[in-house]
Amino acid sequence: MTTDPEIQAARRSYIELSGRERARAVLDAGTFRELVGPFDRMESPHLPLQGIVPQSDDGVIVARGAIDGEPAIVISLESKFQGGGIGEVGGAKIAGALELTLRDRENGIPTRPVLLLETGGVRLQEGNYGLLAIAEIGAAIVALRPHVPVVSVISGMIGCYGGMSICAAGLSSRLIMTRQGRLQLNGSEVIEQEAGIAELDAADKPLIWSLTGGAQRVAAGFADVLAEDDIPEIAQAIRSAFEAGAPAENRSARVEFYRGLLAAVDPRARLTPEEFRELFRRASEGSPERNEQSPPERPESRQDRREQDEAPQSAQTARTRGRIWFERLSGREDSPAAGGVPSVLCADGELDGEAARFVSVVPNPANRFERAVRGEVGLDEGWAVAQVVREAVEDDKDSDRKRAIVAIVDVPSQAYGYREELMGIHLACAAAVDAYASARLAGHPVVALIVGNAISGAFLAHGMQASRLIAFEDDDVTVQVMSKPSAARITRRTIEQLNEAAEKVPGAAYDVRSFARLGALHELLPGIDAGSPGAEDLAAVTRSVKAAIEDARKGPRDLSSRLASEAAGAGRAASIEVRRRLADQWKG
Amino acid sequence: METIMYEYAAERSLTNSAHIGVAASGDLELLLEPSENRSASVKIRTTANGFEDIWKAVFDRFFARYPIAVKLEINDFGATPGVVNLRLAQAMEVLEHDN
Repeated sequence: MTTDPEIQAARRSYIELSGRERARAVLDAGTFRELVGPFDRMESPHLPLQGIVPQSDDGVIVARGAIDGEPAIVISLESKFQGGGIGEVGGAKIAGALELTLRDRENGIPTRPVLLLETGGVRLQEGNYGLLAIAEIGAAIVALRPHVPVVSVISGMIGCYGGMSICAAGLSSRLIMTRQGRLQLNGSEVIEQEAGIAELDAADKPLIWSLTGGAQRVAAGFADVLAEDDIPEIAQAIRSAFEAGAPAENRSARVEFYRGLLAAVDPRARLTPEEFRELFRRASEGSPERNEQSPPERPESRQDRREQDEAPQSAQTARTRGRIWFERLSGREDSPAAGGVPSVLCADGELDGEAARFVSVVPNPANRFERAVRGEVGLDEGWAVAQVVREAVEDDKDSDRKRAIVAIVDVPSQAYGYREELMGIHLACAAAVDAYASARLAGHPVVALIVGNAISGAFLAHGMQASRLIAFEDDDVTVQVMSKPSAARITRRTIEQLNEAAEKVPGAAYDVRSFARLGALHELLPGIDAGSPGAEDLAAVTRSVKAAIEDARKGPRDLSSRLASEAAGAGRAASIEVRRRLADQWKG
Repeated sequence: METIMYEYAAERSLTNSAHIGVAASGDLELLLEPSENRSASVKIRTTANGFEDIWKAVFDRFFARYPIAVKLEINDFGATPGVVNLRLAQAMEVLEHDN
């Protein structure tokens, strides 16, 4: 045995372990048993079609075992394969394992779920397969949390990004981080691509770590425990998290707290990470002082400059599809702002006798956060959506017949920016995911009507937790993970190569007909004039949404209908096969 | 991506399997399982096209030394021959240690 402290330290490093070794290290000694392992050869069917070598476990290790003698499931992501990106198979392993954990819990088996997160988010080469899987992961976590804390670790060196920052990290009951780990929705390169280098310089690594690294995330309340890169310490932190039990209120459900915190922020100021920590600390002590200097809208000068530069439509005249369909379906043309956020429209109405709450996220050129003027789901939008959806759940909690909730989806993306990452855009999106999923689980039929763009984290937050998805069959309806220029930059391919890939792999395509092939849509609605609907269009859409609401009332409250469709049998065959094998191997 | 296949005659049968490595940049993943007949098969999928001569040299030598009836699959992300040989040695370690 060596006594050299440096060698001893190196031997205890958790970060240096492979994904499989990490799973083994956090389970009780000798209890590791892998499910759907390498020799099952459930590799990505989509990567070889794009000339990319797959891996036999698709970069996700699912292991059963014990933690403190209790049955456990550990899901560990291998960052060295495709940056830990979530494709169809790996995503189905994670979601399927969580779904089986829920089944255990409902049967009185006290299985403990642990996620060892190390992921860049959706694997762009598989696009919508990953997006669908991540929505299913979020749905399973929200369903599991009332039974058992869902404990996650972000250790680095990759960190946890994209949809997984929302649906895995953001929704977890307890989150453990190391200093080396980062928690961030939008990759720094993507922020730079979308918002410019003045917004965030992707090459400025110290800045990025100070913004989204583990020390900052714990100090600013986005994670619970800061652990050293040390195997026993991380294993112990996981055990302690289960001993502590569920938090009084899950972070992604703290709507009032975070709305208060954001209200105290001056959106013009570029707060430093230290200043935001201080703001969080003060808010936690119960004095979220509203910043009286902070105007609800951006100052004139900036807006003038924007209008000169880009001549956008004004807030009131921007007749986007999201606004048009909100107005037509709800019958409200007075822009009823949700919780004082003008870019989130919310109203109660009815669809041919069926009571429904309509929610839409729309552009607001005067948005107080500059990065959310074009209808993006930003900080205020995510929390405001969460607020109005939770209000419906609260109002109907003693009612046998829960009102329907209709999300009208026309969202270009989540907001990309420095302030957004600093103040937890991933959690704002997670709050909306949590609210919609909780409403669905409480018995509200939730229908998402995709009338325009349904992109990325914005779609995860606003739409993807719906019981039923309906989309217009229309050339301007787009479902995808990232804009083409950004996707090209990240995957080091040309736009032409992206288009070629999309022809072979429907999950990588941007058009709604390709998305329909994945089987998640309840209905692809043809022949609707999406931009200037007439009475017949409105009647047809009303009929469809009402039928989807009725169908949702009859079915289970989870998302299983997405994999039960005829189209999914072919379009998501691997997602179904992975779940079948996990269930077969679960008991061992 | 290029797919390369080889067959070799084998003398020794295997009783167990081994999984080594990750399809990470400069590295490779190996899956070794007992072959049902008395021969060895190799299937390589590699991102680095045009190195078939080098792969053949590596496996000619490997099977001359270890004439095992193995079904070997490789997912390669541009590993150098040195890394390939290291991973093969690790795989043999696992197979022989577990036997």
